[in-house]
Amino acid sequence: MSYTIDVYKRKLEPTTDFIAFSSFVSFFPQLVAGPIERASNLLPQFYKKRFFDKSKAIDGLYLILWGLFKKVVIADSCARYANEIFSKYESMNSFSLLMGAIYFAFQIYGDFSGYSDIAIGTSKLFGIDLKRNFAFPYFSRDIAEFWRRWHISLSTWFRDYLYIPLGGSKASKLLSFRNVFIIFIVSGFWHGANWTFIIWGILNALYFIPLFITNRNRNNLDIVSKGKTLPNFHEFMSMLTTFFLVIIGWIFFRAETVSIAIDYIKKLFSFNFENGLQYLSINRYTPELLILILCFIIVEWNSRENEHPFFGKWLNFKLILTILGIITLGVYSNVTDFIYFQF
Amino acid sequence: MKQFFKYVFSLFSLIIALLYLSDFIYTQVYINSNPRNKLQYIVNTKNENYDILFIGSSRVANHIDTKLFDDLSNKKTINLGVEGAGLSDNLLQLKLLVSNNTISNVFLQIDSNFEYDKPSNIAISEAMPFLNSNDIINTHIKKNFNNYKKLKYIPFYRYAINDPKIGFREMVLSFINKKPKTNPSIGFTPMFGNKFPLIENSLPETIKLNNIVLDEIIDICRKNKIQLTLYISPYCSKIKNKKYIEKLRTKVPNLIDLSKGYDDKLFYNCSHLNNQGAKIFTTNLYHATKDKIKS
Repeated sequence: MSYTIDVYKRKLEPTTDFIAFSSFVSFFPQLVAGPIERASNLLPQFYKKRFFDKSKAIDGLYLILWGLFKKVVIADSCARYANEIFSKYESMNSFSLLMGAIYFAFQIYGDFSGYSDIAIGTSKLFGIDLKRNFAFPYFSRDIAEFWRRWHISLSTWFRDYLYIPLGGSKASKLLSFRNVFIIFIVSGFWHGANWTFIIWGILNALYFIPLFITNRNRNNLDIVSKGKTLPNFHEFMSMLTTFFLVIIGWIFFRAETVSIAIDYIKKLFSFNFENGLQYLSINRYTPELLILILCFIIVEWNSRENEHPFFGKWLNFKLILTILGIITLGVYSNVTDFIYFQF
Repeated sequence: MKQFFKYVFSLFSLIIALLYLSDFIYTQVYINSNPRNKLQYIVNTKNENYDILFIGSSRVANHIDTKLFDDLSNKKTINLGVEGAGLSDNLLQLKLLVSNNTISNVFLQIDSNFEYDKPSNIAISEAMPFLNSNDIINTHIKKNFNNYKKLKYIPFYRYAINDPKIGFREMVLSFINKKPKTNPSIGFTPMFGNKFPLIENSLPETIKLNNIVLDEIIDICRKNKIQLTLYISPYCSKIKNKKYIEKLRTKVPNLIDLSKGYDDKLFYNCSHLNNQGAKIFTTNLYHATKDKIKS
């Protein structure tokens, strides 16, 4: 679509190279679930003769490895708990419901960013650079930053092919609000014809509007705490608040119907903490998963200025640990497809 | 390019080496640690004399109060009921026990498990660590699993696909010799309370012609001069297709039917008694079978 629009708007010369065009539309690493590539980025790469670049190929292997870890260890482990809690939410206390939403947040992140890493890594093996799709979104300090870091290829696509043509932020305030709502609603609708996705889109628009009104939507463009080991208190609280808002949105995204999502949220805010960590009928236990998620957050935090954790000192040790993690902590007994294969 | 292929080869070799290493560590831990599940316990048990052995599914593990039966009969009793186990899993348990121990009486619980003659994935996963070291387990898995070659020859595959039961967590707990919630040498796992309202459960509508696994169990007991008692334990009042039990009695003529006559308050859920129900049922079962128990 972007090719057709770009050619129509004369931003791109129509190609006469059938092989390059065919390669562009059928490029297998990103064909199933993205990242959504533009002709302007991908097509020129097929025109040029490519030479094998060892460092790029190895970087690709690292991305594949890290993507695999995110999928089989993080996403699939979290999926078991999230599925169990969401399916029995009526009998769960507030603490378990909060954990269910957090697990789903890590499930969808591990699943989709893991897939994107594998796609980008595979592409690098062929000398093709795909655009980055995730940039540590859960370290965002506000919702605007979150959307600059989550599913980047989709949000920039909507920005360039929908938001800006509608007038973007250069129209009157009222029209700008309308444009913001339109892109978030369309983004929700893109995920499926279900009201839950529409509400998820609207909710994110409502999160975004206050930042937009007060011109604070482009406050956090850099990497959080760049060059520092830990965030300051304000940054930490901002990240925590943003994450909390995001997981409330994920409840709508995950729930089967809007009424279930509302009921889930009502129970979540009933502050019923009886029974603490509730028993789930799966042979895994909450404390271990929390430790795993915490370790994952630490690794991601330390890698936030890079694309993956395989850099600097202890490279071989990190590789061995990751492979061991994939072997021993991965979920293989209940294989699940990538979530975004359905969208 | 050559350097890259060398790198890929070294990475691939590292993965293979780590798979073998992980498989070796897991296997050694499970073979050498104190038993944390009933199959580990059975494999490690040698030269014991059991007067009474209970085998079956969770409807045995939750229903037979081992100590109570032991006291009533004044005989050494063990409960080897395993959640999710079918007759094929019970057959494996029996073969393993008979090979190294002496057993006088076996109590086997029969219900809708009559319909199945394949092992359950849940119960058999506990046998996987012994695949290469125990011939009985090896033969049993070879006979019953299509992926036997993968389980046997791909390093770590058997642990990876059975991760809920013998994965990383269980390996670590075995390594540190953490005591299990249920002592495998006793085996009774009582359930507490009631899950009201009891959700309706259903027995099968039709019955199988015969069950070759049950026939094999009967044959082993006969050859080893073991007194085999077959019984069916209670269901709640909401169970559907109760006629199945009558059909079962025609297929299994000596079946002791104790499936009726228990108040719903004695159930944890429709197929499982709670601890109170288990005590009453154990006593009733003892009285119904005491004349059959071989000394």
